[in-house]
Amino acid sequence: MSTREEKERIELLQGTLDLLILRTLVLGPAHGHAIAKAIEYRSDEVLQVEQGSLYPALHRLIRRGWIAAEEGTSENNRRAKYYRLTARGRKQLTLETNKWAKLAGAIGRVLRPSKQEGRP
Amino acid sequence: MKRRQHMLEDLDRDIREHIERETQDNIDRGMAPDEAKYAAIRKFGNVTQMKEDTREVWTMLWLDQFAQDLRFAARMLRKSPGFAAAAILTLALGIGANTAIFTVIHAVLLEPLPYANPQELVTWHGNESQLEIDDIRQQADFFSAGGGVNPEAVTYTDGTEPVGVHAGYTDGGLFPVLGVAPMLGRALTMDDNRFGGPRVAVLSYSFWRDYLAGDPNAVGKTIGVDDNRYTVIGVMPSGFGVPAYDFDLYLPLRVAYADAARYRGVHFMNTYWRLKPGVSLHQAAAGLATISARLARDYPGEERNRVRTPVPLAQAVTGDVRPALLILSGAVCLVLLIACANFAGLLLARSEARRREMVIRAALGGGRRRLIFQGLAESSLLALMGGAAALPLAALCVRALVAAKPAMLAHQNPISMDAAVMAFGIGVSLLTGLIFGMAPAWSYSRADVAESLKREGRTATAGRGGLGFRKALVTTEIGMALVLLTGTGLLVRSFAQLRSVDPGFDPARVMAIHIQLPTVRYAEIPKQLQFRRGLLDRLNALPGVQAAMASDIPLDGNELTHNLAIEGQAPVTEGDEPEVDTICVMGDYFGVMRIAMRAGRALTPQDDENHPLVAVVNESLARRYFAGQDAIGQRIRWAREKEPRWMTIVGVVADVKQYSLAEPAYPAVFTPFAQTDEGWRRWMAVVVRMPDATAAQLPTIKRQVWDLDPQIPLNRIVSLDELMGLSLAERQFNMSLLGLFAALSVVLVAVGIYGVTAYSVSQRTHEIGIRIAVGARRLDVLRLVMGQGVRMAALGTALGLAGAFALTRLMTKLLFGISATDPLTFAAVVGLMLAVVLVASFVPARRAMRVDPMVALRYE
Repeated sequence: MSTREEKERIELLQGTLDLLILRTLVLGPAHGHAIAKAIEYRSDEVLQVEQGSLYPALHRLIRRGWIAAEEGTSENNRRAKYYRLTARGRKQLTLETNKWAKLAGAIGRVLRPSKQEGRP
Repeated sequence: MKRRQHMLEDLDRDIREHIERETQDNIDRGMAPDEAKYAAIRKFGNVTQMKEDTREVWTMLWLDQFAQDLRFAARMLRKSPGFAAAAILTLALGIGANTAIFTVIHAVLLEPLPYANPQELVTWHGNESQLEIDDIRQQADFFSAGGGVNPEAVTYTDGTEPVGVHAGYTDGGLFPVLGVAPMLGRALTMDDNRFGGPRVAVLSYSFWRDYLAGDPNAVGKTIGVDDNRYTVIGVMPSGFGVPAYDFDLYLPLRVAYADAARYRGVHFMNTYWRLKPGVSLHQAAAGLATISARLARDYPGEERNRVRTPVPLAQAVTGDVRPALLILSGAVCLVLLIACANFAGLLLARSEARRREMVIRAALGGGRRRLIFQGLAESSLLALMGGAAALPLAALCVRALVAAKPAMLAHQNPISMDAAVMAFGIGVSLLTGLIFGMAPAWSYSRADVAESLKREGRTATAGRGGLGFRKALVTTEIGMALVLLTGTGLLVRSFAQLRSVDPGFDPARVMAIHIQLPTVRYAEIPKQLQFRRGLLDRLNALPGVQAAMASDIPLDGNELTHNLAIEGQAPVTEGDEPEVDTICVMGDYFGVMRIAMRAGRALTPQDDENHPLVAVVNESLARRYFAGQDAIGQRIRWAREKEPRWMTIVGVVADVKQYSLAEPAYPAVFTPFAQTDEGWRRWMAVVVRMPDATAAQLPTIKRQVWDLDPQIPLNRIVSLDELMGLSLAERQFNMSLLGLFAALSVVLVAVGIYGVTAYSVSQRTHEIGIRIAVGARRLDVLRLVMGQGVRMAALGTALGLAGAFALTRLMTKLLFGISATDPLTFAAVVGLMLAVVLVASFVPARRAMRVDPMVALRYE
């Protein structure tokens, strides 16, 4: 992991981490480390999660009632805390995904013309 | 809350595991273990920061929940407006009354006096002469400054008609000691206060505004005062005043009133002193005692037995008001406690009514803390709304208080509601909500699910738990209200006693006109006599009018005492002579005032400057100094006169209440104005008895005065009835206010009793139905229900009597003619309280009597 490599990664926008967590948990309950790994992996390692920041986000989502925590046993037979999506969380994910798509589309439209204008 | 703790406890384990997993991943990718662990930790980021962020997530939750609770509470209250209105009104009354009284206390007792470093200022009871002030100032190294002032009525003559204004004859030290800078020009200094100095004056803001039209160039101009011209050297800022006085202008004593300044024995100045930093009151008292002893040794005639006990100026200014205000604030606190008890009772009743809802919520997993918090949110919301309603109520009360009672609240600091008072009101409201909301909130959370659901389902005599507490609350309320009623009763009785005191004169249909003759034109006694005689002749010539005059009339706050020597009695050491009131009169003063003659004759026009000196004394004097002998024919004189002027006593009159109705009469000597040698007594109160003593008569009287001398101001015109009223005003004020609080508390208690009884009847409808079904008579039911009220009343009354016995002695100072444990008052108050309890519990009892057993049983 060189410094150069890190620079190519993109820091997460405020609030998008919540969305990514919800999206990850659609596939099934997971523990904290697995969620972090999944996000990095699925974004082809472009999105960098400072893994620590995952935890406040998880707690925030629990507080809102979008995910729930439960005790479980991990693949190598260790006790671990699993997070799973609640019904409200699933609804929220749909909502947030739509919102994100709109936002991304809008920003994309704003940015596109600037390429054609070129430099003055 | 529990969840929060639980989640946070797990956090450490979660982090540890997370890092272990990452380390393992790194090792799997081929890193060395040490490097793998380091990389994992680095990738995780700042652990402390993260923990902090996580904790914050839950803190936010707490606030969020509280807001949610408040919204829920507001929704619930909207659904039961009757309950909300009752609770808010109860609290608004209690908090409003408290805030109003606190406003007054804040301004009068708590707010510092408007001078530089006011905590350093001291004064003492008893006046000083100019020479004494000089000596003390010179000898007292513990004072950094000191000065005095003598109030005098003077005439301002530059207006369209002569105006009587209040002058302060000022010692040079007065302004330095108070430390307030003038708004224009400069203040009076020591140098201004010297014999033969230039006539200079410092004006008050209001005098400058009213008579000089706020002229910014007033300094250097001259004004006419008492036939002299004074040059204005300064104007004091708005709000400046000397404690307890309302001076219009300040003149240097040795310039304006040189005669009086020369004598050590003329103790006529109020003095104010500033302690040096670090000097305690105790040290100052010791130092003053030393100085007094030294002065007594050097000048035994004037200085013996003079005691100087310094007190903080703030305390001296509020001295008379303090006990009354403290008692009123105690009383108003009781009102608040009663209101709070009622509030708690209302909340409890509501919690009983909502028990089923709460139980179900508890059964569905509502946490105990959450339920308590919800209860508290509701009570706090109610309390805050009560507080919000209380503030305008308090503002109204304050306005009424200030309007009703200028004398007691005449104070340096204006009385108004400011931030501190607002904070007080809001603080009291919040505390009330939290403390008194605790009990019902607790009872919510105690709800035992299974037990309560069972009880709710089917009950005969249920719901006693909450009721017991409510009864205890009401019992306490009865006790507190009884204390208030007793206090009020004692004041009412004192007032009645005082009203029935014989003042010794008949105030009906008598007007008093205060006149002060200007210094220069009336310096000589013959000139004064000419004016006095002329005025009385003119007034007495008016149809139906009887007029006379005296130097000081009763209940007017003025007094002048002389030392007395009696012929044939052993001479008394100088300083130990008897002190008696001395009043100069002219005309048929005793006749106009209807003061009864006890022996001898009254003073007549023949007792003038060409006839032997005579005097009339009052009964107190005759009794005290001529016990067992006839006072008539005895000779008296003023002690310490250079040439003795013996006066023969020709009559004895009944005692008159000179100072106040509550104080015994002092020994007094009445002498004819025509025979006095005291040319400085230029003041007089003309008493006019006429069939119709009203303001309509004023122009006639004024014309008589101004026909004689158009330069004479008429300082103050009052009817003697008004004077009587003024002397009672303060007591009446205290009585009315305490009475208002007592009435408020009785209403609250009645509501409380009614609430508890009505609730218990509604809870016991079933039981009462059964009782009636098995043969109980209606009267038995009545007894059953009212018995409960009577038991509360008996216990509460006992509590209240004990409290009253302990507390009413604190108000001894406010009482007159009765003891603090006046049995009649106590009996009357207990009777009243019982009557209130009976009436308040009779209404629900009647409803209980009408219970139809069939309906009651079917209801189940």
